[in-house]
Amino acid sequence: MREKNRVIIPIGPQHPSLKEPGCFTITLEGEKVVNAVVGVGYNHRGLEKACESRTYIQNLYLIERVCGICSHTHGIAFCQGIEELAGITIPRRAAYIRVIVAELERLHSHLLWLGVAGHEIGFDTLFMYAWRDREKVLDILAEVGGNRVNYGINTIGGVRRDVDEPMLQNISKMADALQEQIKYYLELAATETTLSARLAGIGKLTREEALKFGAVGPVARAAGIMDDIRIVEPYAAYAEIPVKPVTDTHADVFGRTVVRILEMLESLEIIRFCVKNLPDGNISVKAPRRIPAGEVISRTEAPRGEDIHFIRSNGTDMPDRVRVRAPSEANWRGVKHMLEGGYLADVPIIIAAIDPCYSCTDRAVVVNSGSATEVIDWQQLRQYGIDWHKERGIDVPAIKMPEGKKYMHIKEA
Amino acid sequence: MQTEQEIVEKLVSKFEFLNDKVNVQRKKRIFTKPLAREEFEQVFHYLHDKLGFYKANHVVGTDDGDDLGFIYLLSNEDGIIFALKEKAPKSDPRIDSMTGVFPSLDLHERELVDLFGAAVRGLPEGPSYPLPDGWPKGNYPMRKDWNPKYLDKNTMTYNPPADAASGGGVK
Repeated sequence: MREKNRVIIPIGPQHPSLKEPGCFTITLEGEKVVNAVVGVGYNHRGLEKACESRTYIQNLYLIERVCGICSHTHGIAFCQGIEELAGITIPRRAAYIRVIVAELERLHSHLLWLGVAGHEIGFDTLFMYAWRDREKVLDILAEVGGNRVNYGINTIGGVRRDVDEPMLQNISKMADALQEQIKYYLELAATETTLSARLAGIGKLTREEALKFGAVGPVARAAGIMDDIRIVEPYAAYAEIPVKPVTDTHADVFGRTVVRILEMLESLEIIRFCVKNLPDGNISVKAPRRIPAGEVISRTEAPRGEDIHFIRSNGTDMPDRVRVRAPSEANWRGVKHMLEGGYLADVPIIIAAIDPCYSCTDRAVVVNSGSATEVIDWQQLRQYGIDWHKERGIDVPAIKMPEGKKYMHIKEA
Repeated sequence: MQTEQEIVEKLVSKFEFLNDKVNVQRKKRIFTKPLAREEFEQVFHYLHDKLGFYKANHVVGTDDGDDLGFIYLLSNEDGIIFALKEKAPKSDPRIDSMTGVFPSLDLHERELVDLFGAAVRGLPEGPSYPLPDGWPKGNYPMRKDWNPKYLDKNTMTYNPPADAASGGGVK
């Protein structure tokens, strides 16, 4: 669409850049974005209405599905809200397990984002490294919760699954292996010109603008705002755990990248602390089916920022009102400002830099083998991939990088 | 740092009508009872301009029988959340937009329009949110008397039986 010297480009709702539907109407003068209209709402599923006709326990499973990536943080926010209404204090061991899984979730979410960011700027090697490393975290989440996403750890009154000694050892091994890789990503951000050239100075959102538009999470922290619910209003076991705030002052996409990488190192420290200091005892207490009438505002720090659940109970076993404000909802308002004044080529990475939510995939993989259907596990799938490449002349495990490229060394968790 | 109780005391000394309508629910939480429009706006501006509530976290719509409820959640740098409530009758569900103070409230207030049927005056022009194009006019799905089973998704019409409630608008 052309209007005088301006060209209006409608992008979406279905488009190749992001994995979820969103409509961005971009007005250009030459390559420069002079106006941007952000249209969301294509994924509204009526979850909050559905909550009103289901019991609290049924809602727990519904609430976990608000988001595939940060399902656990929604579970915590919902459960601790109900627990506050019912006057329940959960066991310390359960609080620590909630934190361990929450930080594992932050790790996999940030690694997912780092990969997407690499992909959006044409740095697909970074995408592959980050997603390879994310697999280590997902394997641990699958071991702890039985699933790669939607782990089902939380219940009203504590957690549904305990962690045993072998699991804790595997978590520690994974943390050690991942530490090296994440340090490499930090070095990469500081020294690799591809990243700084593509990310620095774009998608600017100053401290004042971030406050004005209500930005949360890494977007706000990259603008120098120390806004982290784990510190501002500690929940679960965070009051007992040292959490160092991570902020940056670049106030652009580069700053958001640095914040997320540093937060991953901090998450590893938190996980190590929890593994070392995990209290003994029960993992849950009995909760009533009917929740006393009242209102509660429950907050958590999701990987993308502040997650708020408002719950109104009416004395029955079903809530009267549930309202979820996920962090992406808070960050969309700033996107228009970030886009305007920038260039068309930077639109995908600027949008991606707020880490908008998108769904995850199934766990089970079904491969047709002749006329039969075969179900294979992840280890078999990996071997299948290695064999597939070998048949075509590429021996993946034998690939060696030139001397000095330590980042190619993969430690097995 | 102001404590929750100090904030409440400042408000009550400034606005007499808040005398029995504001309380500290627990640490870091202050709630009001539903206020009329004029009272709500006075308190809202005072919280923002004088008491350091610099951030609008959230807006929650509620169906309270004959009234619609609107709960604005504001927070200060100490992480105290102030739940400021406003109400308007369903027969005249007009409220004023607070996007002039917090542009970030844009999406939240559009949701009050789409899902509850609020008439938000002063809301900037923009796409509706979150209901799709072609949604039957006058149907507000978060009202208690609106039932999703009466929505015909093929024709996008809402067809409740004669003895059922209207869902806020057109049958």
